[in-house]
Amino acid sequence: MEDSIATATGHGQVQVYFSTNSPDIELPEEKRQLRVPTDVRRYGLSQILNSESMLDTSAPIPFDFLINGTFLRTTIDEYLVANGLSSETTLNLQYVRSLIPPLYEASFEHDDWVSCVDVLSGSSAAGKWSGKTVSAGQERILSGSYDGLLRIWNKSGQVIATSTSSSAGGHTSSIKSAKFISSTQIASAGLDRTVRIWKYSEVEDGFSGELKPTLELYGHKAGIDSIDVHGPSSRILTASTDGMIGLWTTQKASAPAVNTSLLNSGPTAKRRKLTTSTSTTQRGPLSLISSHTAPVSAVIFNPLDATVGYSASHDHTIRTFDLATSTVVDTRTTSHPLLSLSALPGISTQLLAAGTSARHITLLDPRISASSTQVMTLRGHTNKIVSLSPDPESNYGLVSGSHDGTCRVWDLRSSRQGTKDEGNGLVGEAVYVVERDSQKDQAKRPVGGEGIKVFGVSWDKDVGIVSAGEDKMVQINRGRGVTRAENS
Amino acid sequence: NIDPASLLPKLPRPEELKPFPTVCSTLFRGHEGRVRSLAIDPSGVWLASGGDDGTVRVWELLTGRQLWSAKIGDDEAVNVVRWRPGRDAVILSAGAGEDIYLLAPPIVDPETDAASREILDHGFGHATNATQTLTANGARKEPVAKWTRPGTRLEDEGVLIKITVRTTVKVISWHRRGDFFSTVSPTAQRSAVAIHTLSKHLTQIPFRRLPGIAQTVQFHPSRPLFFVATQRTIRSYDLQKQELVKIIQPGARWISSFDIHPGGDNLIVGSYDRRLLWHDLDLSTRPYKTMRFHNKAIRAVKYHKGGFPLFADASDDGSLQIFHGKVVSDLMENATIVPVKVLKGHKVKSALGVMDIDWHPKEPWCVSAGADERET
Ligand SMILES: [Mg+2]
Repeated sequence: MEDSIATATGHGQVQVYFSTNSPDIELPEEKRQLRVPTDVRRYGLSQILNSESMLDTSAPIPFDFLINGTFLRTTIDEYLVANGLSSETTLNLQYVRSLIPPLYEASFEHDDWVSCVDVLSGSSAAGKWSGKTVSAGQERILSGSYDGLLRIWNKSGQVIATSTSSSAGGHTSSIKSAKFISSTQIASAGLDRTVRIWKYSEVEDGFSGELKPTLELYGHKAGIDSIDVHGPSSRILTASTDGMIGLWTTQKASAPAVNTSLLNSGPTAKRRKLTTSTSTTQRGPLSLISSHTAPVSAVIFNPLDATVGYSASHDHTIRTFDLATSTVVDTRTTSHPLLSLSALPGISTQLLAAGTSARHITLLDPRISASSTQVMTLRGHTNKIVSLSPDPESNYGLVSGSHDGTCRVWDLRSSRQGTKDEGNGLVGEAVYVVERDSQKDQAKRPVGGEGIKVFGVSWDKDVGIVSAGEDKMVQINRGRGVTRAENS
Repeated sequence: NIDPASLLPKLPRPEELKPFPTVCSTLFRGHEGRVRSLAIDPSGVWLASGGDDGTVRVWELLTGRQLWSAKIGDDEAVNVVRWRPGRDAVILSAGAGEDIYLLAPPIVDPETDAASREILDHGFGHATNATQTLTANGARKEPVAKWTRPGTRLEDEGVLIKITVRTTVKVISWHRRGDFFSTVSPTAQRSAVAIHTLSKHLTQIPFRRLPGIAQTVQFHPSRPLFFVATQRTIRSYDLQKQELVKIIQPGARWISSFDIHPGGDNLIVGSYDRRLLWHDLDLSTRPYKTMRFHNKAIRAVKYHKGGFPLFADASDDGSLQIFHGKVVSDLMENATIVPVKVLKGHKVKSALGVMDIDWHPKEPWCVSAGADERET
């Protein structure tokens, strides 16, 4: 094998050692060392690994190769030259399933800014929490808009259902966050300070459906920026501009009564009430946790343990909550206002990623025992980072949405030592930059991301990277053509 | 022989003085015509603005989304918008023509809305409008200001009180406790400076005679002192003793604006004759430092009030100059002043550039209002 590859090309050769962190694609020990031509690139190495004599894959798996934490983006020869290495060296090639370039697939047009998106699929959390499985092709996309409406779309861009207006139990102001709890239940929240629970049903043919309000949750004194849901326990977490974290239940019977002083009663609201048929049940929070000293921008359940919550705030901190007792158990202080939060499986332990107003993403180890707080910084965005979503197929990937009008895809395995200006430490740079398709004819991104800010992004295994923004679009990007060489 | 350069104070490099604003991150577009004034609310969540189109608008600071607007000036520009200090209520004040409006924008929860309305309505019980003093010859004297309800259309939008004075209001400045505010109507002669008591719906004229045309005013951040700028001087008065304390002489020909350092002992002055001056009030009535960075008039100057040693000015040349300005408590040591960044981006229209500027209450973020539209 060694000889056949080398003689076939007739170029210079270098000794490589293939390793991986993924046990399912590990090579037997005796096949890991190999001489390869120095003029190969990622694609050639990927072909070698997939070949009959190596992994012998039934369908080719595209691979990427990391040398010393950097993705190989040139020929091996160019890499050796650039790093002043001789071809006598043995190169350690760590191979990883390739991130497929997230190519543009479709956009769904709205009447107003789109603040958030979520996906229901067979592989999504809500899909798994549903009674019956979501079959391929039946995936649904949920969008929440500044016009106060939720919309449910199929993958072809048809609206299957729209939430009711404010006069029929819908939101009275912009929606900021919405999530599927299951294939038949949705939670949403926004500037009207309420969480609303909706029953979602579709008619048999799957081309039309209904979103019916079933529960209104009151407790916050300012707009709600972010929610997270946990289907099995019927719990919801909210993060509000009032600085509070809310813990709620979707079960009417076990939800506390509503504090009536929070219901609209002012003169402006009175008029609204005349036209409102308030038949929806109203309830209060299980608890409101006051800990942050500024607006809370994001809150999540720990995906591995729904009795633990994490929040990120403009007050620069990330806090860990024991939800059973509604107490703060840990506070980490960073240098900047935090605007988004996500939990990643991580390389060895679970990590938290927080998007800042200062254009970077901070990665933290949330374990109280962790000796060093900041693990890594992801740099490249040119404006606030307001949304994050983990890669559903990798422990190391995530996507971010920013007011600079882009989504960026990151791979934590790719990093370099930061400069002094970057505060030293490990720095990661984006693997892919996803632009707004609505902006494709513009040569330059507008100042301040005007008109193209991204407000929400969700990465689903079956649907792809779904993002929403100021361009009034939900945009879908998806890796396609896994065997294509692209430009690598 | 001593190298004269060695006598210059060693100033830190701008990079060592981070954080300070470096990039434009949000544009707030919506006003038709010039934006005259802006202000970030005490919580740092909202931005209010007013402009030539006669509207007051409130925006989400973070996204640039307009949340609410009301047209209060029929043919008049909104010359000034200022939030009432404090977190107990959310009240916005705005000046359009001769009218000062007090607003409770419908962007808050019902309890805060009720608290705001309660504060605004409380003074109706005092009926100060009815008590008109008699002049020497026995005729009824017109009150200096009329506090009224602005009418159903505006009240439905959250515009709850209208105070009418005699000439166009250009400046509104609140006392930190949120019960007093002062307004300046430069073209009014004797009643140019007015002090209003919100809880009593009462307007008083503290100075019958000023040595020049009043430009702007400010309450001291901690002491019962009141500062009045005319074209050439700034006078500080003791409000309790009702006496003149100090006359500050910046040496500018025409003062446009000034701001008092949150520590209370330093002051910056901007002038139409392009000068920016720093006064140490303990030191002298003359400026400690005079700076000329702009080639057009300076319209606004403002200190950061949330813990960062920053200040900024806004000029008709379309730019903002951001400064590091560190005040040391040591009486013998002077403030360190370093220009750290010029922010451009506003188009100059009809010779008017940046009209107003404000800082976030906590973060090193600034917003500016332009003769074009607007930015952060
Ligand atoms: Mg001093």
